[in-house]
Amino acid sequence: MGSRGGPPRPAAPRPPALALVPVLAVLAAGAAEAGATSESHLLGASTMGTSPPPSPSGTTFEETRLHVFTLDYPHVQIPFEITLWILLASLAKIGFHLYHKLPSIVPESCLLILVGLLLGGIIFGAEEKSPPVMNSDVFFLYLLPPIVLDAGYFMPTRLFFENFGTIFWYAVVGTLWNAIGIGISLYGICQISAFGLTDITLLQNLLFGSLISAVDPVAVLAVFENIHVNEQLYILVFGESLLNDAITVVLYNLFKSFCQMHTIKVIDIFAGIANFFVVGIGGVLIGILLGFVAAFTTRFTHKIRVIEPLFVFLYSYLSYITAEMFHLSGIMAITACAMTMNKYVEENVSQKSYTTIKYFMKMLSSVSETLIFIFMGVSTVGKNHEWNWAFVSFTLLFCLIWRALGVFVLTQIINVFRTIPLTFKDQFIIAYGGLRGAICFSLVFLLPSAVFPRKKLFITAVIVVIFFTVFIQGITIRPLVEFLDVKRSNKKQPAVSEEIYNRFFDHVKTGIEDVCGHWGHNFWRDKFKKFDNKYLRRLLIRENQPKSSIVSLYKKLEIKHAIEMAESGMISKVPSSVSLSEYHEGKIKPLSPTEMENMREILTKNLYQIRHRTMSYNRHSLAADANEKQAKEILIRRRHSLRESLRKTNSLQSCNTFTVNFRPYLSGAHRFSREAESASYLPIPKSSSHFRYQGN
Amino acid sequence: MGSAHSVPAEMRELADRTGFTSEQIEHLHRRFKQLSQDQLTIRKENFDNIPDLEFNPIRGKIVHAFFDKRNLRQESDGLADEINFEDFLTIMSYFRPIEMNMDEEQLDRFRKEKLKFLFHMYDSDHDGKITLQEYRNVVEELLSGNPHLEKESARSIADGAMMEAASICVGQMGPDQVYEGITFDDFLKMWQGIDIETKMHVRFLNVDTIAHCY
Repeated sequence: MGSRGGPPRPAAPRPPALALVPVLAVLAAGAAEAGATSESHLLGASTMGTSPPPSPSGTTFEETRLHVFTLDYPHVQIPFEITLWILLASLAKIGFHLYHKLPSIVPESCLLILVGLLLGGIIFGAEEKSPPVMNSDVFFLYLLPPIVLDAGYFMPTRLFFENFGTIFWYAVVGTLWNAIGIGISLYGICQISAFGLTDITLLQNLLFGSLISAVDPVAVLAVFENIHVNEQLYILVFGESLLNDAITVVLYNLFKSFCQMHTIKVIDIFAGIANFFVVGIGGVLIGILLGFVAAFTTRFTHKIRVIEPLFVFLYSYLSYITAEMFHLSGIMAITACAMTMNKYVEENVSQKSYTTIKYFMKMLSSVSETLIFIFMGVSTVGKNHEWNWAFVSFTLLFCLIWRALGVFVLTQIINVFRTIPLTFKDQFIIAYGGLRGAICFSLVFLLPSAVFPRKKLFITAVIVVIFFTVFIQGITIRPLVEFLDVKRSNKKQPAVSEEIYNRFFDHVKTGIEDVCGHWGHNFWRDKFKKFDNKYLRRLLIRENQPKSSIVSLYKKLEIKHAIEMAESGMISKVPSSVSLSEYHEGKIKPLSPTEMENMREILTKNLYQIRHRTMSYNRHSLAADANEKQAKEILIRRRHSLRESLRKTNSLQSCNTFTVNFRPYLSGAHRFSREAESASYLPIPKSSSHFRYQGN
Repeated sequence: MGSAHSVPAEMRELADRTGFTSEQIEHLHRRFKQLSQDQLTIRKENFDNIPDLEFNPIRGKIVHAFFDKRNLRQESDGLADEINFEDFLTIMSYFRPIEMNMDEEQLDRFRKEKLKFLFHMYDSDHDGKITLQEYRNVVEELLSGNPHLEKESARSIADGAMMEAASICVGQMGPDQVYEGITFDDFLKMWQGIDIETKMHVRFLNVDTIAHCY
């Protein structure tokens, strides 16, 4: 096994499915620089290489005895270390959640940074030099995309587009405001010679301002996911953190090039503005295009279900790195791709693939997030700091002030255009939720030291700001939300009646808007839906049947409940048909009518019980009582249906199909009124449509 | 009121009663004139001229709501044959957005009014209850745009939704208990979690009378 010894070298190019392989190359360089051999020593490997290096053929002739047991660490060093880091991160996560209360008081991100700090301290203490700093490339190319993909894929699109104007306004104008404000005020501070900062130019300050004003989606996600504010607020802050990537990229590159150019002409400023449009719109276009291609590809994957999830990940990652290749906004590209893909892919892939995609995405994003925070902690410890009280404290101060001012002023303007204005509470949470995180951290490391002699000062300032926002703001935001009594989100089970109401409501609103001749949101949404139905869905979805959200939600819920009931052992002889229907779904075009009926029959028979359970009781509380009551209920219903079916079979010999379907309606419907019961008897003679069901 | 340009005093009176600003009233007045073809009142047939309304599955209910006397705040019941501008404004006032300076009581009243409007749309026979048949009717209309769906699905969905309502409003039901229908209070209970006052509104100031009817 020792034949491959020697220093690790970058691996040969392999198919892109192995995303870790390029990471090896990058980390190899980083690890080698930082003297990773001693680090591995720390990590518990014993002395390396009990086998001497292989002699280059022909030069020396040393005979080595056969070794019974060899240890060859360099051979596996890179994957070994990566695995250990990820394992450590995940174990830390388990540790936090063992103690119930901890994650509710302190957000996970803080704890992870602390762990990172600890590790960094150990490594620093052991070898007296800075531990391997997180390479900005690793962050931007591997760690950030999964998180943004996860966020974009599960984004509530409707809410997002309803608030799009506000989000865009905050993202673009807000970030500009912050960047320029912080930059100029810091320049003012730097002019005061007492602080010893006079060598920092205006442009450098502006660059610093632009990179520190970016609200970070990772940090926002990490903190907001525990506090459950209402969806509107969440989407405003989170949407802003995603969309501001475009402007951050532009400003950062703009000021960096300006710092390196000798003269700045007016044309350059216009080029900067044009660049913004190119970056933002270009990123989105790439994302949408690849999203459509992905949807189109999944149209043909019904023969090879196993690799369906792969396409989702590949295409979205491709959109990200394509955008990065052109220096466009990768975050916007991957978000646009995920949002586009979501609708169509969901219908083309099988249920199992969909579950795989969901879980794998969540897993990747969770690992990435954990690694990011740990690395931030590790990278903090080290020798690349320069402390200057004035600069650091004023940076922090200005960040807070300008953010608060910015949100306040911008909200006053945007409230004129909003129908539901944002209250002070909302504004406070938006301002307070402007957390900085790993993006500014990585951007500051990317600064070229040649142009920025005071780079270490910037790094220190950024770290202080990030720590402040993540720790102080992250920990205090929860009690503040409770103190201010901000509206929380109500995570109820989706109910069919709610869906019906929502749809009804949409149509009423659209109707009223039509009557008053108003081209509102609904108008555009309707137009898009028509276009979507006419062209896009036909092209991108394999079995295109016009879909109703009510029906699909209903079916989804029923299947879910049937599975729950089967798992809890209530239904005795059903499982086969339920799983059969799921399994067959991929093979036959629609479910065959007999299977459908069987499924329906089972589901509707237990309908009352299912509803009852989801609406009023939590499954984990009241378990004992609920079970007894449920059993009794089911028994009663079965008795009813049996009675009814006896009555029916006497009268209707010919349409068996029909009785099967009708029984449940009777046993349930009789609760509503006598009228309903008689109504349900009526259609029997005259509905030839039901015979169609049989003949299918 | 009517085709003549509103006198400021009348306008103010209307503004007070319905809560619209004079600008909004002027906009809506223009629209009213278009719809009524310069007549003083609108009839049901006038609504046929709105092209986009054709595609709306619950078009019938919407038009019906305009003529429903309960919505027009008249004491009597049933349907009016024609409505004038003031009635038109009354119906539109149900869709006004909330204002920042509303207090709790006003908000609550506002919300109840909007929900009452919706309730009337469901309850087509005006008996104050939404029965299973009426609910089924609603769901069938909603899904009528979908030619592939059988009536069966619509009915089972309506049944399921009705049972959800029953479980919220009445809770545990005995085996022989009959649930008559959703009353207005039950309806209120069901909409408790949803912020109707923030969603049920139209931006009246952006009325674009270019979208005309022919």
